[in-house]
Amino acid sequence: MIPAQFDYVAPVTLDEALSLLAEHQDEAKILAGGHSLIPAMKLRFAQPALLVDIGRLKDLAYIREEGGQVRVGAMTTHYQLESSARLREICPLLPECAAAIGDVQVRNKGTIGGSLAHSDPAADWPAAILALDAEMIVVSAVGERAIPASDFFVDMLTTALAPNEILREIRVPLPPPRTGHAYAKLPHPASGFAVVGVAASVTRGADGTCESASVGVTGVSVKAYRARGVELALKGGALGQQEIAGAATHAADGVDLNEDLAASADYRRHLAEVYARRAIERAASRVS
Amino acid sequence: MKIEGTHELRAARERVWQSLVDPSVLQRCIPGCERLEQTGENSYSTILRAGVGSIKGVFQGNVRLEDLRPPAHYRLVVDGKGQPGFLKGAGELELEEMGEGLTVIKYAGDVQVGGTIASVGQRMIQGAAKMMASQFFTALEAEAQTQAGEPPPQHGFFRTALRWLSGLLRRIMRGSK
Repeated sequence: MIPAQFDYVAPVTLDEALSLLAEHQDEAKILAGGHSLIPAMKLRFAQPALLVDIGRLKDLAYIREEGGQVRVGAMTTHYQLESSARLREICPLLPECAAAIGDVQVRNKGTIGGSLAHSDPAADWPAAILALDAEMIVVSAVGERAIPASDFFVDMLTTALAPNEILREIRVPLPPPRTGHAYAKLPHPASGFAVVGVAASVTRGADGTCESASVGVTGVSVKAYRARGVELALKGGALGQQEIAGAATHAADGVDLNEDLAASADYRRHLAEVYARRAIERAASRVS
Repeated sequence: MKIEGTHELRAARERVWQSLVDPSVLQRCIPGCERLEQTGENSYSTILRAGVGSIKGVFQGNVRLEDLRPPAHYRLVVDGKGQPGFLKGAGELELEEMGEGLTVIKYAGDVQVGGTIASVGQRMIQGAAKMMASQFFTALEAEAQTQAGEPPPQHGFFRTALRWLSGLLRRIMRGSK
């Protein structure tokens, strides 16, 4: 439980952090809340030569409303998102998802940016970020670019971030009227990670039918994904129990299912369906 | 733990087979393979820096090819250990020709993984193995598409795409003459 030797720098500006990354590339690793990276380093699964601690970049922790979006700084902790009264009003999926993460200690230190950049296949945030159709703003020493959530998660523990880039901000479009959200999760009994987690966002039309739905799924495959089959089946239809149950059967369509001691592939497929149904039912019932 | 899958390679079976038994090709294709040395007939010792994302470990191990039936089948026996844990297993590879220049590889194996990686990272082992298998076959496809003796492509996918594009352009140019 002692990490291998590494160098440590704690820059006080984002530019300084970016130039360190530009210089060291793959050798360097960004330290945010440290609740994934530090345990991996203690087990010596990760042995970065240089840790760039961005914990002093306090101006990367914020929740703002701007341009029809909720903008969340990457260093915002899970707890800050969980406890935001304003978010509960305008984008309740964020606090709901935050509250489902790990334990109090993890939520107090862990950050949304750190979790997304680490891209654990069973992390909670990716499901919510996908369902909300968010955009990732990433910066490097040479500029800034926006990556849609659906392009951000590339593979297990692998994102579209280049080695010289830092995730700076997450932009969530404000949900349209008559939209309900929910996150349904089966936590692993020991780690709290999602054996299966489904985030749903459902918008009803004036007549109460489903105008649009987006569903993000985590824990089921090597990376979180949008369950397009479910979304397509819901669109334009009624939101009764039967319709929702029918749509939920597509929750694991076309994905390579994870298999581990907690759940076999078949059991996971079943869980994905059940949790998709629960998330959509709850989301639909929350549309006022 | 069982690992199985199929992978389609746009290359002739003969070429795929030759690539699969050529240690220098294997060293280039196996993700993180730092060394692959022949220690006997069809047996090799290897050093792998394997992993996904920022999670990596160094493994030392032995690889043996058995039951060779060119160009259709062999059995791969591996054992290795490293700081993160150990692994031991065997798998069968079947090469099937599916028409001109298309080969389907079916692989199925059983691997035992132990040590820290098994106790802490168990939920990710299967996914990581699949990811590395897919990286391996993608690289192997690029190798098999080059002619024997030709240098291997540095960036398999892009080189292949470029070649396809330039071939297409040539055909279009010829057509318009």
